[in-house]
Amino acid sequence: MIGTGQTKHGRRDDLSYPEMVREAVKAALEDAGITPDDIDAVVFGSMPSMMEGVALNHLYFAEALRAVGKPILRSETCGSTGQSIAHTGIYWVASGMADIVLVVGSEKQHEGDAQATMMTIPEPFLVRIVGGAPAVFSMQAREYMGHFKIDEQKAREAAAIISVDCHNGGFLNPYAHIKVQVTKEDVMRARIITYPVRLWDVCPSSDGACAVVLASERKAKRLCKRPAWIKGMGFRGEEYFSGDSSKAVWRSAIEAAKEAYGQAGITEPRREIDVAEVYNPFTYQELVLLECLGFCPHGEAPDYVIKGVFSPGGELPCNPSGGVLCTNPIGAAGLIRLAEAAMQVTGKAGPHQVEGAKVAFSHAMGGAEQFNAVTIVGSEL
Amino acid sequence: MRKVGIVEVSQSPGVETSLSLMEFTFKTVKELLDKVGMRRDEVDTYILAASDILHSGMACANAFDIDAAGGFMKPLSRQEADSIWAFYYGCARIMSGHYESALVVALIKGSENPENDTVTTCFADPFYSRPLGIQETTAAAMQMREYMERFGVTEEQCAKVVVKNLGNALFNPYAHKKKRVRVEDVLQSEMICDPLKAMECAPKSEGVCAVLLASEEKAKKLASKPVWFKGYGCAMDTYYLGDRDLLDTKLKVAASKAYSMARIHDPSKEVHVAEICEPYAFQELLWCEQLGFCEEGGGGRLLDSGATQMDGPLPVNPSGGVLAMNPYVPRGLYRVAEAALQIKGKAGEHQVPRKVKTALAHSVHGFAGQCHSVVILGA
Repeated sequence: MIGTGQTKHGRRDDLSYPEMVREAVKAALEDAGITPDDIDAVVFGSMPSMMEGVALNHLYFAEALRAVGKPILRSETCGSTGQSIAHTGIYWVASGMADIVLVVGSEKQHEGDAQATMMTIPEPFLVRIVGGAPAVFSMQAREYMGHFKIDEQKAREAAAIISVDCHNGGFLNPYAHIKVQVTKEDVMRARIITYPVRLWDVCPSSDGACAVVLASERKAKRLCKRPAWIKGMGFRGEEYFSGDSSKAVWRSAIEAAKEAYGQAGITEPRREIDVAEVYNPFTYQELVLLECLGFCPHGEAPDYVIKGVFSPGGELPCNPSGGVLCTNPIGAAGLIRLAEAAMQVTGKAGPHQVEGAKVAFSHAMGGAEQFNAVTIVGSEL
Repeated sequence: MRKVGIVEVSQSPGVETSLSLMEFTFKTVKELLDKVGMRRDEVDTYILAASDILHSGMACANAFDIDAAGGFMKPLSRQEADSIWAFYYGCARIMSGHYESALVVALIKGSENPENDTVTTCFADPFYSRPLGIQETTAAAMQMREYMERFGVTEEQCAKVVVKNLGNALFNPYAHKKKRVRVEDVLQSEMICDPLKAMECAPKSEGVCAVLLASEEKAKKLASKPVWFKGYGCAMDTYYLGDRDLLDTKLKVAASKAYSMARIHDPSKEVHVAEICEPYAFQELLWCEQLGFCEEGGGGRLLDSGATQMDGPLPVNPSGGVLAMNPYVPRGLYRVAEAALQIKGKAGEHQVPRKVKTALAHSVHGFAGQCHSVVILGA
């Protein structure tokens, strides 16, 4: 990865959707120090067309993506789209059929109704009544606590710590959407959304785009002093009907992480990874993920969180950018995780830089709690 | 670069089925795996191609499709918009050296979907194009009018594409629309959007298509005669119709990239059969020109010469093409599957009489051909 670019995320009424895409593309090209002519191929992704009302919007963004006259692919795997487009770009370079690939993800959620779209992920006959993100993820939180017999107050406290850490991170991150500092008490006393999830446990709906530039080893060495190297990738998907599988011992997350660790040669994730960007639209879900991604033993995430293992300055700081909890343009969110990971290992993260980070982990989740995707980057080839 | 082979393909018929989308998908994928003698978990990676909510009423289509397509707990991805991209992405994954086999599955249940143009209306941006009524058919009608005016291509020549393709489809067991028709029938069919007549527009079909790809070594083990991936090209054009010359599309760019990768110098001689995506009859003629099968403006004469007929030197759409079978997103992968069957000599009753060593598959989406992709396959 030789360049990353993000828009300022939030409510972007000041820009049209194509202009917003362009803002991220321009930033990534400037960061990489290349011109549009240098790009061999483009990968784009966003959520489905119901989101902003334009179907196959890569057609609409042809110019903003600098894709005119160029080959393009469009990957979409729901919430994990941002990671899937990165994987598409990586395979495109690795195949030898392109040297420089521009990968772009975007969402302009204030022009649509995200939850209306989410309601249509469940099929119309049996499960649509439980659609929408808060319901699904709150059930996961309950399942998790029940499965491991975790004291509700302890889980509540741990989730609140995650919220506080993320909001502090978002406060420092110049691109983040939500810039509010909260205390543990604020989180625990906030209004309920769907039990046990409260307002500060939930991500916002954001407008934003992210772009990254991928290059072959030869080109990257020539164009960039400090590229972030791709060390491992994983993606797994599980059954469609939620009741068919456990979301507390979340197999797609476990297997996706294992695959990526295998490629990256990582055996002890918590020790070997310096910083992680875990897709966390809901604080409770991060607890499940910290375990399933192999950062701590199953059923013990609340203890580790309370001890500060995943807080700033801890053994494995998670989401120093503020995470999805502070910034959630869905089609871009998974790619922002990877861009942030790359910024960390190349020392470009600015105010939320984790000192000396060499190996960084990024992740996204999507579908009806079905898909998990992981990409690991490092400062050394 | 690593070679990639097509081991086997399977397709489902385009007529309305009583099977659910899940059953329908499972059946086609199972058929493919049974033909090869593989289990679903023996395939290394899966790439799905499915349309989004506006087609199927479900957002994040692959969430629903994954079980039936066989991708459970497998490295998986999905391409939206065009299934020929899923084919290419599958090839890229194998070429990267990460995987030895990839199963590409494209699916749609047209009979449960709204009209094609209800969806394509939403390709239009909501501020400038949509209020004007721009959608795939109205954009194509403007392109057809310009095509006839500039090059003197006649309505009869365009109608002849329908006669040829629906006639070819009579021999394709999977085709949706098949009929022996006359030029007069086409010209007298309902005017949809001047000058496009009803029979010149593709239908709305069901369709699941599956293609198994493998690395050279693996493909040779799994198939006696794999078909090889030889070339690929894709190019996007600008978005607004007014910014483009509608008769000078980026298909030329896509084709020239594919030809140079496949080392083809004279496509009119070196391509032995072509499966082209022609949702509107005249587009087959225009695309033939831009693919270099004839000179600019010569698409009508090429058809008149009989060259693109089933028994001609360069048969185009022996399967009946998209006019006979239009499962919206899978239609690109169908073109690849049909091209592969022609090389294998397994196209059955619509196998072309000439020997096929090199075949071309083409796919397009967006207004008046905004985005084209070309695949070259070889024996």
